Amino acid sequence: MNRRKFISSVAATGVAVTTLPTVVDSFAVKALAGGDPNLQQLLEQTDRVLVLIQLPGGNDGLNTIVPINDPLYYSRRPNIAIKKSATLKLTDDLGFHPSLSGFRDLYEQGKMAVVQGVTYPNPDRSHFRGTDIWLTATDPDIFGSTGWVGRYLSTIAPNYPTVLPEHPLAVQIGTSLSLGLLGNKGPMGISFRDPDEFYRLVNTGGAIEEVPSADGSDTPGGREVLFMRNVARSADVYAKIVKGAADSATNSTVQYPTTDIGAKLKVVSQLISGGLKTRVYLISYTGNNFDTHAGQTSTDDTSTGVHANLLRELGDGVSSFMQDMKNLGFDDKVAGMTFSEFGRRVAENGSIGTDHGTAAPLFVFGNDVNGKVYGNAPDLVNLDDRGDLLMQHDYRNIYASVLLQWFGTSRSVAQEVLLRDYSSTSIPIFKSPVSVQEQDAKHFSANAFKSISPNPASSIATIKMNLSPYSNSFITVSDMQGRVVRSSSIDSWSGQVAIDVQGMSAGTYVVTLQSDQQIAHTFLQVSR
Amino acid sequence: MFDFSEKTDALTMSDALHLLRRATVHPTWASAKQLAGKTPREAVNVIMQWGSTPQPPSWWNTKPEFTSFADAAKLWYELQSWWVKHVMAVPSVRERMVMMWQNHFTSDYITVYAGQWMLIQHQLLRRNAYDYQKMSNEILGDPAMLVYLNGNQSIKGNPNENFAREWFELFSLGVGNYTEQDIVDASRAFTGWRVIGLQGVYNAQLSDQGPKTIFGVTDTFDGPGVIALTLQQPACSRYVAGKLAKTFLESEPETATIQAIADKVKAANYQVEGVVKDILMSNGFYHADRRGALIKSPADLVMGLASVFNVPTLNSTYITAVMRALTQEPFYPPTVEGWKGHHAWITSSTFPQRQRYAESFIDGRETASSAKIKDEAGTNLTVDLVTFIKQLPDSNDAKKVVENVSMLMLSMPTTETQRAVLLDIMMAGAPLYEWDVNLPSAVSRIKFLIQAIVRMPEFQLM
Repeated sequence: MNRRKFISSVAATGVAVTTLPTVVDSFAVKALAGGDPNLQQLLEQTDRVLVLIQLPGGNDGLNTIVPINDPLYYSRRPNIAIKKSATLKLTDDLGFHPSLSGFRDLYEQGKMAVVQGVTYPNPDRSHFRGTDIWLTATDPDIFGSTGWVGRYLSTIAPNYPTVLPEHPLAVQIGTSLSLGLLGNKGPMGISFRDPDEFYRLVNTGGAIEEVPSADGSDTPGGREVLFMRNVARSADVYAKIVKGAADSATNSTVQYPTTDIGAKLKVVSQLISGGLKTRVYLISYTGNNFDTHAGQTSTDDTSTGVHANLLRELGDGVSSFMQDMKNLGFDDKVAGMTFSEFGRRVAENGSIGTDHGTAAPLFVFGNDVNGKVYGNAPDLVNLDDRGDLLMQHDYRNIYASVLLQWFGTSRSVAQEVLLRDYSSTSIPIFKSPVSVQEQDAKHFSANAFKSISPNPASSIATIKMNLSPYSNSFITVSDMQGRVVRSSSIDSWSGQVAIDVQGMSAGTYVVTLQSDQQIAHTFLQVSR
Repeated sequence: MFDFSEKTDALTMSDALHLLRRATVHPTWASAKQLAGKTPREAVNVIMQWGSTPQPPSWWNTKPEFTSFADAAKLWYELQSWWVKHVMAVPSVRERMVMMWQNHFTSDYITVYAGQWMLIQHQLLRRNAYDYQKMSNEILGDPAMLVYLNGNQSIKGNPNENFAREWFELFSLGVGNYTEQDIVDASRAFTGWRVIGLQGVYNAQLSDQGPKTIFGVTDTFDGPGVIALTLQQPACSRYVAGKLAKTFLESEPETATIQAIADKVKAANYQVEGVVKDILMSNGFYHADRRGALIKSPADLVMGLASVFNVPTLNSTYITAVMRALTQEPFYPPTVEGWKGHHAWITSSTFPQRQRYAESFIDGRETASSAKIKDEAGTNLTVDLVTFIKQLPDSNDAKKVVENVSMLMLSMPTTETQRAVLLDIMMAGAPLYEWDVNLPSAVSRIKFLIQAIVRMPEFQLM
């Protein structure tokens, strides 16, 4: 049975879709879901959560993931370089900043992806342009007014804010609301510092009749009134729901660090465990903290100082959060990603600091993450004309990975959100891409594949799987356009299959395993 | 296209209130009455005379000490209170300009640390509030700025780019009007400054005297040279004009509006007092589209409301705390870009908070449950609603009360339906003929009315 039939039969037999272990890969969705309300509904039911952590000011990538064997790193940064012996082991050539033990631990557990050299062509070195570019996911010459998360959420709730979903789609912990969460009809999320405070603010007003707005006045003032009414309405509707979630949350199982980021992640954990079905949480440091033009490190010990403290706040906060999620049983549902508007100059400046630069590492963490380093150690020889690092990964390739693999959007939706098709350059960061229906599929997906060897492959790739001996299983290999290029049935007793990849062009392929009513995905790289 | 022609017919009460909301933070009935009936030119000439130069706190010229955080923080909070008290004390167009510049040449007290330096910068902005050129030249050697953007650590051979970048991007031209190379060479030109005591001191030995190429011109520029060259760029007058437009006119001015103001800024050689007056006298300024086209900053919300109800001595620590909660802590902008303003002021957190602040204030309380609002000395203050209503004409006519309070407190004209609902709220079921401002029951009726008004989204506009 081909996949198309498999899925349509689910709908045709009228079996309750929510109990079927249906998993749909992203690129097939466009074709499959066309006009199929059941499938659309399935897609909307994913309960995966993304936690975005913004490091405002421009995080110094070279002192975060240190190229420990590169003499150029040490010669360009005589006063602020992190000593090799002080770093925490990442690879033979790379070390985590000594403050990032939390990240190192997650990496050792295979839950931390380090993506090297992330920026975009012609990077902008302005904080504010840089931040807007990252939040809007636009080219640097485009001044966008909506955020990529906001656009994604608009595809889920096209009638927002006229029709509000039961739960807030996005929550920012803090009082401001990020450009990243703006859709073309205004904010797609809400912000608050604390659920109880939020509830009190919204609900302590006198119970007095409300004065109606003037009808649809298309003056500047009239448009502002409409904007505020929408903000007020989502606050009214969601304050109670947020408080309900916070009240029914299980107590934290870990001691969060008493830092800004620690406290904010604690609130996120509380809301997740209390059952809030929010897709995206956004937290940020306050102010432009990472803008370390001066006094970035201590003068006596470069592994301490301002930047070290900021990274410790990040690493310790995230590791507490992930441990809490694990203890509470939500760790399969949560992934996180850090971002910052740019990295910093290769060479230090004259004030024990660094000026604005370009590419820097980005972190993605979670149980479903393929924990590894993507890309090469930074090349300090071949720099741009200003002495800054060259791009290895466009940040939008990672956004595409999040959308396609983590949230399971179709290719066309991802294209609509990112304003261009990044599906073929997305990075295989997540292990089980696109599971629409987590509850039944996840255990299978997480363990279905034992190994692919070699990977990347150039002639034969041997795929080993965990299969029950009597299962009826087959495997397909598809390119990123969704075309099946190889397929094979599997001898369940051996649990392995050899795929001839000769004749396939270099690139990333999706391997789909179907076994009885279960399905799982992984990635195969072909090199030439 | 913005209509810059001078409005010549006399100001109505509504026009006068609009002028006061935009040009000051004191849109009171009494001041509007003083201006109504005058031509815009006459009225603007009156308000430009308002204001005074505040006496700085006694410590302003003492040597900065870096003993303890607590000692430093004491000065920050005194500085905030001092500023709040001055703005509250007296309506002034210059104070509006100072607020604009505080959000232009930014600094924050945590980074700068010494309250003295923050105060010195503030005085620089007030002194030069109508002279952008002089302000820019003085900011070069301003201690707070030298600390805030690392100019004091920028020396020949190893310049720090922080100030140069923000000079072009945020202080003069805006993005897209300079190159990375311009930043590199300008940062060299800005070298040589040190902070010594209360002053920025220029040391030629530490400055880079070599040739630099900026905007295609090669010369041995120093800091003032870069500023002079920058101010010649057409983008510079447009950038300053944009700030004026967003301060006095609307959140999203059209390019043509900005260009029309920029032409005047350029012609005035960056002496902008006349430009501000021209804006405030123009037909475009009083046009219906400008009414409510700005979202009140927390400063306008909090201090404006206190002045409307004649509570100028409201506790400055409390005012600062509310502004902080609404994300506009004085002398502490979130980044060097300053406060973004406009929609950034309004979130699911800050909007209800703005409503709660205003409702509680009308009730004479700091929050719904807390004690009475207090003055500087800790004495209870009264928000005298009856006197407030009695200053209005026809205060014994319930319908007129609703009309006049709406006109005073809301920048956009209300609809008939809105006024009818407000009247219902005020009367709470009683027949209109029972309205009597002198009856004890009037107090709670007025409170109903005003609390309903401050809950309206329209109240957040100016």
